[in-house]
Amino acid sequence: MADKKNNHEIKNHQSSLKTAKVFKKGDDLFACSRCGTCLAICPVYKNTLDESFAPRGKLSLIEAVANKRIPFTDRLSKKIYTCTMCDFCTSECPSGVKVNELFAAVREDLVENKKYPEVLDYLKDKIEKAYNITFDSNQGRTDWLKQVPGTDIGDYVKQTAEVVYFVGCVSSFSPRSFSIPRAIVKLLKIANVDFTLLSEDEWCCGFPLLGSGMRQEVKTLAEHNIEAVIKRNAKVLLTSCPSCFHTWKHEYEKLTGIKAGFEIMHVSQYLLKLVKEGAIKPGSLNIKVTYHDPCDLGRNSGIYDEPRQLIKSIPDVELIEMASAKKQANCCGGGGNIESLDPALSAKIADNRAEEVLLTGAEIALSACQQCERTMGTALKKKKSEGGVKLKAMDVAELLLKSLESEQN
Amino acid sequence: MKQSQIKYLEEIAGQDFVITDIEDKICFGYDSTRLEFMPDVIVKVKDAGQISSILKFANEYKIPVTPRGAATGLSGGCLAVNGGISLVMLEMNAISEVNNVDLLVEVQAGAITVDVDKAANKYGLFYPPDPGSLKTSTIGGNIAENAGGLRGLKYGVTKDYVKSLELVLPTGEIINTGAITVKSVSGYNIVDLITGSEGTLAIVTKATLGLLPIPKAKASVLATFDDMASAASAVRDIVAAGIITATLEFVDNVTINAIEDYLNIGLDRNTGAMLLIEVDGYEAAVEAEAQTVKDVCGKNNCSSFRLATSAEERDRLWSARRAALSSLARVRPSTILEDATVPRSRIVELVEAVNDIAKKYGLSIGTFGHAGDGNLHPTILTDLRDKEEEVKVEKAIEEIFIKTIELGGTLSGEHGIGLTKAKFLKLEVSEDAYRLMKNIKKTFDPNNILNPGKLLIN
Repeated sequence: MADKKNNHEIKNHQSSLKTAKVFKKGDDLFACSRCGTCLAICPVYKNTLDESFAPRGKLSLIEAVANKRIPFTDRLSKKIYTCTMCDFCTSECPSGVKVNELFAAVREDLVENKKYPEVLDYLKDKIEKAYNITFDSNQGRTDWLKQVPGTDIGDYVKQTAEVVYFVGCVSSFSPRSFSIPRAIVKLLKIANVDFTLLSEDEWCCGFPLLGSGMRQEVKTLAEHNIEAVIKRNAKVLLTSCPSCFHTWKHEYEKLTGIKAGFEIMHVSQYLLKLVKEGAIKPGSLNIKVTYHDPCDLGRNSGIYDEPRQLIKSIPDVELIEMASAKKQANCCGGGGNIESLDPALSAKIADNRAEEVLLTGAEIALSACQQCERTMGTALKKKKSEGGVKLKAMDVAELLLKSLESEQN
Repeated sequence: MKQSQIKYLEEIAGQDFVITDIEDKICFGYDSTRLEFMPDVIVKVKDAGQISSILKFANEYKIPVTPRGAATGLSGGCLAVNGGISLVMLEMNAISEVNNVDLLVEVQAGAITVDVDKAANKYGLFYPPDPGSLKTSTIGGNIAENAGGLRGLKYGVTKDYVKSLELVLPTGEIINTGAITVKSVSGYNIVDLITGSEGTLAIVTKATLGLLPIPKAKASVLATFDDMASAASAVRDIVAAGIITATLEFVDNVTINAIEDYLNIGLDRNTGAMLLIEVDGYEAAVEAEAQTVKDVCGKNNCSSFRLATSAEERDRLWSARRAALSSLARVRPSTILEDATVPRSRIVELVEAVNDIAKKYGLSIGTFGHAGDGNLHPTILTDLRDKEEEVKVEKAIEEIFIKTIELGGTLSGEHGIGLTKAKFLKLEVSEDAYRLMKNIKKTFDPNNILNPGKLLIN
């Protein structure tokens, strides 16, 4: 039963394959034993039950391209991009295949071959024109702050400061998430930290483009952002978004060759430091919470303990772990660009995570990521409307602030 | 396949569930053997009725049909070696309410093994077969391969828990066979014939499985020995002492070193063999049995002995054994996992033979596995892109099989014959027995459409 269509396609593989980045990963590609361990943990596979969307399937497709059995096609592209980039597969792979690196390489190849989802062009356009992921002017970076009554913007945007708080696009522009940066700056003020925002000098960190396979485009953003922090004479760069953190911490130096002379910290780490130093004294909250590990903070950056210690620093808070936590935490469905590429799938993954949250009996689902907070919040709200569930999602910084406010009352 | 035939399949299963794109066929063309055979078409089925229609059609036009679950098999069972239809069972994954009086659960073939166990756990019960891939594998695949696992010695394998089956025959009839009672002798035991038949006789669509109460207590023991012979002697003495342990796992020196290279957890690199033993049951019994195990290991000159009763401690003890395969898999690009099985009393001879064969061909082979039931996993670490080495690997495998049979063993303990061991089957099975098997196949599948190219090949 010869397949004529296949033969035809195989003969016509593009010449551009010569430059394919996946070629360089031959050993890693071959090391996948197809054991199927990744099927049990991949949120995309579990919700599609389709081998061609599983990490093992994607690797076999990449191998087929590298071996010139098939060209880069739209169908292949759709499968590759249907990924939350949670990297659970990379961390659990028994053979130690660097799945994330292979996926990043093939996305770059797909971009070079103009086989990538159209929506990513739109995203790239937005970032190139406005330096953020919305079409709003970048001057609106601190609008979330202006809406706080009695705010003097001069207190928040300074020429120099010890700490720069890099707010991130979602927290800066999505009203749904404003409560997170507001809580953070309030806490920094309470602790008398000398900090500044970059305002319009903050450009998108480039994470969405890295995930899209548009690595080259990120260099300019990285150089600008590093320069902006250096200009402020800052000793510490703070991010509340784990993906900004991951990009700053693990990608910027590789991209630019610039060694940042300042420390890069996630807000959860910095707030814990302030609590330990006594600069912030958490109030008591008699409440049961659970904590969701954001993929870019946990698995991709190894930060599991600080957010938990921060939660436990609040008297009377009871932290109940979910069935999957830390290195084995399931994704919230908001990772990668999957929310814009396949919203229904993203919602299903979020729903799976919400189910895990419910099993803990917690009253608040905490995270340390505005994206996780949003996807889980939406999933939990949906469950609420279906009846019976009284549970909200919140950032750890918000809970800490709540504890201080409750003490005052 | 003709376009008109694909169209007909679409009428049966729905357009979205019949796929012919090459990208998909590549992904439905492999399993955990890493061999590749593309089907002509992928059909994702929803119920026995659809399967019946597809098989009637395939039988009429002599189109090969290969059922596929999660494709974690290690003998090539789900590979469409002759093309044709890859019949994907994953959507049929319903699990019924557990019957906690008769200790039964009814599941569809695509249900994932661990999900069946979890459903049982809610009632204080468990599903004992625990193949390494249980978090991914399907019950249909487990039944097809008669999957085993770590608990074989005390709890048996998949066949010991399959009570009754709903089957679709290659000619399209849907039948129910077996009984959900503890005892049943009504006619030939078709259930046991189908279990382990590797999808060559019928397609399992539904199964009623037996469950057991979760033991009240468990204790784990990790004992190390300077040499393999002492470990094997300890295994013998444990059984002789009247203890049937839940697990009795063994890890050899090559594997210990691979684990230490990977995890750096302070294992003694000179250790000849490590045993991981778990006893379960009533608390008092567990305590007494653990003590006996300790005494026996001591008498056999174990170099270290650790006992754990809490879940956390047990978890720590198990970390080395759990990492065995991953550690070996990281040594070289390709890993070939065999499952030669010998009587418990002959383990030392098999391990020694495997080491000699490794030396002879200059190969690296780590061995670990289920010492309690004689089911070992000699794991060949290689690079299959190196064609010269591939030839050596093939020769080594053949010699391991010949030795296994000599020792009164069997080619496959739990992975199946499938594609990879089909050419060796006659080492174990006589001409007459082979012919009988072929006749059985013919009775079920006169046109040889169901999973052709597996198990029986000539």
